[in-house]
Amino acid sequence: METLTLLAGGFAVALTPLNIGLLLLGCFAGTLIGAMPGLGPVNGVAILIPLTFAFGFDATSSLILLSSVYFGCMYGGRISSILLNIPGDEPAVMTTLDGYPMAQQGKAADALAISGVASFVGATVSVIGLSLFAPLLARMAIYFGPADYFALYILAFVTIGGIAGVDPRKTLLSAMIGLMIASVGIDPISGIPRFTFGNYHLYDGVDPIVALVGLFAISEILVLLEKKAADRTAPIGITSWLPDFRTIWMTRWAVLRGSLVGFVSGVLPGAGASLGSVMSYSVEKQASDKDGTFGKGDPRGVAAPEAGNNAASGGALIPMLSLGVPGSGTTAVMLAMLISLNVQPGPLLFERQPDLVWGLVASLYLGNVALLILNLPMIGLFSRLMMVPTWALMPIVAAVSFVGVFSISNSVFDLEMMIFFGVLGYLLRKLDVSLVPLVLGLLLGGDMERNLRRAMSISDGDWSVLIASPISIALYVLTAVFLCLSVWLTMRDHKRTQSRVTEG
Amino acid sequence: MSVRIAGVAVFMIAALYMYFGKQYSADFGDVLGPSVFPMVVGIPAMLLSATLVVFPSGEVSWPDRGHMARQLLALAILLGYAFLLRPLGFPLASFGLIAGIGTVLGGAPLKAVILGAIMSPALWALFDQVLGLPLAFFGYWFTQ
Repeated sequence: METLTLLAGGFAVALTPLNIGLLLLGCFAGTLIGAMPGLGPVNGVAILIPLTFAFGFDATSSLILLSSVYFGCMYGGRISSILLNIPGDEPAVMTTLDGYPMAQQGKAADALAISGVASFVGATVSVIGLSLFAPLLARMAIYFGPADYFALYILAFVTIGGIAGVDPRKTLLSAMIGLMIASVGIDPISGIPRFTFGNYHLYDGVDPIVALVGLFAISEILVLLEKKAADRTAPIGITSWLPDFRTIWMTRWAVLRGSLVGFVSGVLPGAGASLGSVMSYSVEKQASDKDGTFGKGDPRGVAAPEAGNNAASGGALIPMLSLGVPGSGTTAVMLAMLISLNVQPGPLLFERQPDLVWGLVASLYLGNVALLILNLPMIGLFSRLMMVPTWALMPIVAAVSFVGVFSISNSVFDLEMMIFFGVLGYLLRKLDVSLVPLVLGLLLGGDMERNLRRAMSISDGDWSVLIASPISIALYVLTAVFLCLSVWLTMRDHKRTQSRVTEG
Repeated sequence: MSVRIAGVAVFMIAALYMYFGKQYSADFGDVLGPSVFPMVVGIPAMLLSATLVVFPSGEVSWPDRGHMARQLLALAILLGYAFLLRPLGFPLASFGLIAGIGTVLGGAPLKAVILGAIMSPALWALFDQVLGLPLAFFGYWFTQ
């Protein structure tokens, strides 16, 4: 009951005229960004964070704006996966499987409407789950001591790369590079400047926002430059924008199954939205692909991954809000937003700023409603905007990134830093190293060190304090299990590709 | 090979990081001091990068010379923008940036110049006039 009251309070916050305006603006701008080539949710939000800052809204309003941009981007990404067969972001990959064939058969409006409705239902399921479980986890997290937080951060770094992704060593190294960068600047406890080499610009440390914009937006320009300037195929035209409601109703079970599967995989560490949509798609395929229609334009093949991906991104908010530890790329960007707005997520957030937490939850919900209503009549406009050529779009993105970063501190040094991170991001992407752990290391490094040092001052320098509580032992065991599992999976995949090479 | 070189680079950086990190010390009030955390991060970073040198994974295909030259040119334009933003002011510097990057990305030069000529004052008007982020119209080269 208490949760319902809080949620109602959240809706009251989200429904103020300013916040509704920001929500609609964010959804619209986000869809635009997401539908454009070369811009996904992560770089869209990264570019907008410093600008939001400069406008001086309070934390709740900024968060509402940025998260509606985020959801708008995801929706825009779907438009390009369905009409162009180009996924706007990672979770949208599964949507192309059945969405593009549907568009080819002239059912683009149906596919877009299904993805909208499925996302809405997925988000609803995850908001209900979030309202139920996040306060529980936050209550539990009060028992976490500094040593337990240290263990939790280690778990976060190990799991962020996902379970069967690239080489786990690269993911861990990426996190460590982030931690190294995080320790640059004046040490907050002893006041000694570290790794600044006499450069007073570095005394404040590296601003995560500057790093984020460089890593994602500037590196994207460098990645685009090495591709051949291929012409994009024209998107499939839409004959009518009014969808067939019977087709949507047909997908109801797929949507529900997808939402549940997605939510569970979102809450698990290291999974996030991509795994949510993959899992939902494969579960749905096993459950209802009796005639072999999946992959050839089955509406249920659009509904399940879309519901799953939205449910997962809501589910991934649970560890992020209640523990302050994001489990996915999405939530890592959201954490960057929160930290740059001077909000420290964690168990105390629910007690100290219930307005913010529940306002965010309510705005996630309203964002999905707004997207559903906003997008059906406007798809024509968005699909025309997708034709903006890359050469015209990316220079403007660069100019906006510069303005955003420059507006933080008016310093040219920050601009140079952003370009440096752009080059670093490009090199790491070429080497198949995920950038999200680096951002996470940069964001959490300060806290991780503070917790370690706090634990050690409590124990007066006795290292065994790190494994003294049952919580930290459990977390280390979990970390070890996860590490073994991902090393084993990588080795297995490696052997498989090797044998395939020798066979071929 | 690229992964090996990257491994060596990270190894060297982690080693330097630890070398400098060891020198920081505080005498009072803090049990662990400012130099232990760099060790906690540096040692595993060195070990992991060493394994990447010995057992590299994945292959990297770098762009050919032509594309690399375009990337370097783009970097030069970005850096030039960072240095010239204050002296030239926002609209002029952004004109150069948009026209330059647009051309490097494969747009027709004339079209890129027109895009820059329209978008740079438009962006200035949007940010400075509408959204209230102060951006100088003329830089200090013109005003002094």
